[in-house]
Amino acid sequence: MSCEEFQRILPELEDTYSLEQEQHLKTCSHCSALVADLNAIAREALLLADIEEPSPRVWNRIEIALRQEGLIRSAQPAAPTLRKARWNPIWLVPVAAIFLVIFGLLLYQRGGVEPQTAHVLHSTPLPSLPEGVSAEQAELLKVVAAQTPSLRASYESEFRAVNAYIRDAELAVRRNPNDQISQQYLTNAYEQRAMVYEMAMDHGLQ
Amino acid sequence: MTGARKLQGDKLSEAEAIERAKQGDAEAFEALYHLHKRRVYSLCLRMTANTAAAEDLTQEAFLQLFRKIATFRGESAFSTWLHRMAVNVVLMQLRKKGLAVVPLEETFESEEETSKKEPGADDVRLTGSIDRLQLKRAIDDLPQGYRTIFLLHDVEGYEHNEIATLVGCSIGNSKSQLHKARMKLRELLKTSKAEKAAKP
Repeated sequence: MSCEEFQRILPELEDTYSLEQEQHLKTCSHCSALVADLNAIAREALLLADIEEPSPRVWNRIEIALRQEGLIRSAQPAAPTLRKARWNPIWLVPVAAIFLVIFGLLLYQRGGVEPQTAHVLHSTPLPSLPEGVSAEQAELLKVVAAQTPSLRASYESEFRAVNAYIRDAELAVRRNPNDQISQQYLTNAYEQRAMVYEMAMDHGLQ
Repeated sequence: MTGARKLQGDKLSEAEAIERAKQGDAEAFEALYHLHKRRVYSLCLRMTANTAAAEDLTQEAFLQLFRKIATFRGESAFSTWLHRMAVNVVLMQLRKKGLAVVPLEETFESEEETSKKEPGADDVRLTGSIDRLQLKRAIDDLPQGYRTIFLLHDVEGYEHNEIATLVGCSIGNSKSQLHKARMKLRELLKTSKAEKAAKP
C-alpha cells in the first residue's frame, strides 16, 4: 500500500485499520507521524469542551427576561449574583452618602500618612479608566490596590459586572416603567453596587 | 436520563431543579444555568470566535431551554437536550449571517487544499507537544465550515451521523471535512511551532 492510497482513505478509517493499513503504518514514518499528530489534535480538543466562563451579566439578562415573560413565579426576586442585601433599600441613599464622605476623607488623609501609598496614588501616572468602571470606582480600586494588590482585579471585575447589571435593569425599567419587577431589579442592582463599595472600602481601610 | 447530580453550592439535585424550574422557581433556573453555562458558552465561543456573540447565543440558548422546560419529559439526558438546543441556536445564527456551515460536497480536493502527500521527513513534529492556547488560536483561524465540523465532533463529541443531521450534509462529507479541519490545524500548529523555534 502506498502513502497516497493510505491517505486517501484515512478520513474514513476512524482509528480502525486493516492489516494492510497497519503494516503500512509500521513501515512508513511519514504516515505514522501524520496519524499520531491528527490523533493528538483530537485528544487535546476534547479538553476544550467546557473551560470558558461567561460574564455574570449573561445570567442577569436571562433572569430579567424570564421575569418579564412571567416564567419565574417566585414571590420575591432572588439576589442574582452577590450575597443577599443586609439592609432595607430605604437606607440606600444615606448609606451611599456616608460611603462617599468616608471615601473623600480617606483620600484626604492619604496625602500625608503613608509615603509608599502616597507614592502609589500620586506619583504613578494616571492611567486611562479601566473599561466599564466609573472614575470614582477607579479611584477606589487604587485605594484597594494600595492595601491589598491581589484584590484589585477581583473588585474591578465586580464593579464591571454590577455596572452592567444596573445598565440592563435601567433599560428594563425604561421599557416597562410600570413594571414592579423591573423596578425591584433596579433597586437590587443599586444595592449590589453599594455592597461592592462597602466590601472594597473595608479592604481599602485595613 | 442520567442519575441526579449534586449542583455546585447547594443541595438541589438536577432532577429537583428541573421540576422546580417547571413551577417557575428562580433558584432552580439559576442552579441549572450555573451547572451548564460553561459547556454552552464554550461551544458558542468556539463556534463564533467572538465573546459578545457567544454571550448573546448563550443567553438565547438558555432562554429557549427555559421557555420549553415544561415539555421536558426525561426521555434523554437534560444536558443532551440543552446541548442540542445550543448547537441549533448557533447554527441558525451562522446560517442567518450567510456563513457557510459546511463547504459544498467535494469529491476531489481543490488544488490549494491538497497537502503534500509525498513521503518525506517532517521537519517539525507535533506529537506530545500541542500547546492548548495555540490550538485555540488555530481553531479560530479555521474556515467556518471546517471549524463547525471539528468542534461538533472532536470537542463536543457528536458522531458523524448526528452532525450530518444537524448541519444538513452527508456522513461522508462530515468525515471529509473533519479530516481536512485536522490537517489544517496540524499545518497551523506546525507553522506556529516552527516560528517559535526560529525566534532567538
